[in-house]
Amino acid sequence: MTEMEPREAAIDNLLRRSMAAPVPSLPPNFDQRVMRELRRTSQPLDRFRRTLLVGYGLMSVVTSAVVMRGQGLEWGPIAALTLAPLAVIAAVPLVRRATQTTLRNDAK
Amino acid sequence: MESDSQLVTRVQGGDQQAFAELVRRHRDRVFRLAASILGREFVPDAEDVAQEVFLKVHHAIQSFRGESEFSSWIYRITFNHAVNLKARVRFRSPHTDETVLYDTATREPGPDRQAEMAQRDQVLAECIQTLPELYQSALRLYYWLDAGVGEVAELLDVPENTAKSYLHRSRQLLHGMLKQKGYSCD
Repeated sequence: MTEMEPREAAIDNLLRRSMAAPVPSLPPNFDQRVMRELRRTSQPLDRFRRTLLVGYGLMSVVTSAVVMRGQGLEWGPIAALTLAPLAVIAAVPLVRRATQTTLRNDAK
Repeated sequence: MESDSQLVTRVQGGDQQAFAELVRRHRDRVFRLAASILGREFVPDAEDVAQEVFLKVHHAIQSFRGESEFSSWIYRITFNHAVNLKARVRFRSPHTDETVLYDTATREPGPDRQAEMAQRDQVLAECIQTLPELYQSALRLYYWLDAGVGEVAELLDVPENTAKSYLHRSRQLLHGMLKQKGYSCD
């Protein structure tokens, strides 16, 4: 710190004395606790979410296929209309990850 | 040794060991930052904040694009989380009794003098509570948690000169407040 004027030095001393207290620290098992909590909160939820999403996706595909078929569409266009959006959804994270890697490599 | 960004990439690929390493690297600073915001009375809450921050970071790590340093990102999350918690716990009774908080300040001779100093310390503590969060955090990091100006700057994500000016401005404000309430700093 740079040289303090007397007034500031006085409050500095007061703060040092007044705020002096034992410095707390985390328990040694903190890391294990975090990792345990992470497993506890994410795993069952992820499994549940995935099951729910897959179930919802399958129901949507079947329903839309039945509706489109009911409207007189052939199976070919129905398959294309159903699979194309799924392919886009699957491609987005891959494209994003590739873009991030490129940007990170460019930044280095 | 792997950099934070390399570890983040591994975590984004599902590597839990890499996340454990990030926790090990940043746990103490995350906790110190949380404690500096919540204050001495709520140290156990700071521990909870540290844990919640890491869970939050793990949950959001896929969206981390590396535009800023990982450490800046996690300290920002910690700061916001602790400030939000502080707003909620403000009216709750503290974990530590105030007489314990100020016992370090009352080891001077003479009961009258002791009482006077304890009273001034309490007024000072109240004045600190009225400062902006960044100033409070800088003060607690520097005077309580023995952080250097460099660490204060890093945790608050500001340049060192800004951290110095936070401390300087805080001292000025506190001096004025104490004077106004009829206390001297000597």
